[in-house]
Amino acid sequence: MSANLPPVSITGIGSVSPYGPVEGLIQQTPIEPTTITAWTTAHERRAFLVPPFRPATVVPGLKTRRLDRLSAWALVASSLALKDAGIDLNLVDRSRVAVVFATAFGCVELTEAFYLSAAANGWNGTDPITFPETLASAPASHVSMFHGLRGPNITVSNKYFGGESAMLQAACLLRQGQADLAIVLAGDALSRSLYSWYEEAGLLSPACFSSQPRSEAGGFIPAEGMAAVVLEPPARINPRPNAHSYGRIRTGRWVAGGQSAEIIRKMLGASIPNLTICSGNGTPCAVSPTATLAREIVGDKLPIIPPHVFAQGLAGSGAIFHLMMALASHRVSGPALFLGTARNNGFAALLLDLP
Amino acid sequence: MTDTHKTIVVTGVGVVSPYGIGLDCLQAGMLSGKCCLERTKDDVYPGFDGTTAQIRDFEPLARSSTSQHSRTDQLAVTAAQDAIVNSGCNSSVFRESGIVMASTLGGLTEIDTGIAKDPAAWYRRSGGLSRAASYPFAHVADSVGDHFGIQGPRCAVSVACSSGAMAIALAANMLLEGAAPMFLAGGSDPLCAFTLSGFNSLQALDPNPCSPFDQNRKGLNLGEGSAVLVLETLAGAIARNAKILAVLRGWAMTNDAFHSTAPHKEGSGLADCIRLSMEMARVSVDDIGYVNAHGTGTPLNDSAEANAYETAFRGRSRPIPVSSTKSYLGHCLGAAGAIEAAITIMAVRSGALLPTLRLTNPVDSPGVDWLRGGVKRQPLPLAMSASSGFGGSNTVLIFGSGAS
Repeated sequence: MSANLPPVSITGIGSVSPYGPVEGLIQQTPIEPTTITAWTTAHERRAFLVPPFRPATVVPGLKTRRLDRLSAWALVASSLALKDAGIDLNLVDRSRVAVVFATAFGCVELTEAFYLSAAANGWNGTDPITFPETLASAPASHVSMFHGLRGPNITVSNKYFGGESAMLQAACLLRQGQADLAIVLAGDALSRSLYSWYEEAGLLSPACFSSQPRSEAGGFIPAEGMAAVVLEPPARINPRPNAHSYGRIRTGRWVAGGQSAEIIRKMLGASIPNLTICSGNGTPCAVSPTATLAREIVGDKLPIIPPHVFAQGLAGSGAIFHLMMALASHRVSGPALFLGTARNNGFAALLLDLP
Repeated sequence: MTDTHKTIVVTGVGVVSPYGIGLDCLQAGMLSGKCCLERTKDDVYPGFDGTTAQIRDFEPLARSSTSQHSRTDQLAVTAAQDAIVNSGCNSSVFRESGIVMASTLGGLTEIDTGIAKDPAAWYRRSGGLSRAASYPFAHVADSVGDHFGIQGPRCAVSVACSSGAMAIALAANMLLEGAAPMFLAGGSDPLCAFTLSGFNSLQALDPNPCSPFDQNRKGLNLGEGSAVLVLETLAGAIARNAKILAVLRGWAMTNDAFHSTAPHKEGSGLADCIRLSMEMARVSVDDIGYVNAHGTGTPLNDSAEANAYETAFRGRSRPIPVSSTKSYLGHCLGAAGAIEAAITIMAVRSGALLPTLRLTNPVDSPGVDWLRGGVKRQPLPLAMSASSGFGGSNTVLIFGSGAS
């Protein structure tokens, strides 16, 4: 994105994760992967799983009986983010509210269920209720339906930078005047076929097989969850008495190749980040190419927050979790670099102003 | 006065459709009135008996470069190749370009029911892991980017049947922000047992060739294909002396916020989307000469869409000409919006307005001129492509023949 574009404020945060449903920043406490029980495994298998909860206890009146977990989490996370932002949708022109959702695998649990119905009944006997809910865009559609949001409704994906690109796409909608307010969501649910894929491909950390692993090197711990942020132009939040800003997105870039450090330095211009927050989606726990790139850009003297082990387990959609957990643990003001990289596959970088 | 940095132009169009590869092939086929919809029995999956539009004799790219490429990827790369050739550029010109590719299926063509029954065994089967790697819909954008060595921002879009049009709208947004000097934007979706079965289960398929906007319409037919546009700013196109095929004058995205599968019966979301796109283009209801409709042929879509046109074009001096080209090549899902954008550009450039095939008793909409019978020829400075989809997603694109 070009420099000198109007900034966009992050005014609300909500999430559903292994920490449960949370309004605002997740206050970090050590977290361990838990044993998978949703499907049968020959031996113990572990992941960062969302504990079961009743959405209606978090968002009164919310009906999720017909929804898959990903859509239910999207409704809860978006509701918590709006509440955190102090936004009463009754006072908002809902045709001017956008929803931008990033996911790597979409509604993979229902896709599996649809395949099972085909396996059991043949392709001519599949389930008509399940089929439309297998669409990757179904969670974002449910968010629009539940909140009555009639602005742009977008579902995007990027192998490494889905969350970051969703934030930049949403900021773009606001700056181009195509929305006044945007809810950005990023997340995925873990399913049997997905976990099995990681395992067969040899991507899992030893921590997935034992509660006392010898090393976390050489793999990652799959995770699930949904994070949401509310974005709006700074001018919108001033009249709201209970409004606050977690930070402003000043500019951002994401590319699939090229000289990462050089491009990011150019984007930063004269800004020297007081803090660098690393994301690292699907990368091995013990290795952070992002932290290496961050050191190359900002040096060793300024704080660099490495990727959080839980958010690393969300392939391509963990960015917002990385951001919200870093903001909870490091209270720093001024410019901050939010950075993700995938070695030779490019990077995503956002320049933030923290209050 | 045109702001050349804020004007988005189309400098290349690539298409893979049941007519073959290329816009010329598509144009010749459609102008001749050829319909690609044909009886399909036990073809996509055993037991299916209906009507589809398939791409025959499609030659996959060389195996060495496509070892993890699904049919979705293959169609996308081929359409992108065609767009690059059509732009008159070497692919090296696109090195810093962005990519926005849409798909609803991703690599579902490579997956079968075995994955749900015993995933570990399925992955261990020959090529299971490699096939699964193409499953995420982001892989379509990566396939195009990796094939041509493109290093700009990559994004995949999946918003049901308006995906392809939305990819173009998002690329235009990013061009305005200077995210990349050029974009390849479009959509790709093949025929697949998963979707054919799904629409069949919803009883949304017409067993015979579909009749969009006809009072006796019975449903849709699925097709397959891909289309990719080369988009850049007018300033960029002028700077490199590029051939300008069309101007993307306006675009808009809205949501019905109504139902998972049914459109709002008044078409209010689509009507809003049309109004917003005309506001962006700074044109009036009388300036639009043709609408390439979403026009699936399902009872609910077509009546809602007709209502949307009645609302959005109210006050127009004469009925708005509308047709559905899904009557030629079926509904290509995530590629539909991009293919129909290409057809709309074709209409703007040629002044040829295609009729809806098999439209004998149009739905009652006095504000709409349902194009039927022969091809209508007239100067066409501005035309619109409308797309809608499950989940209430709407996208409208307005193309013009030149910068104003």
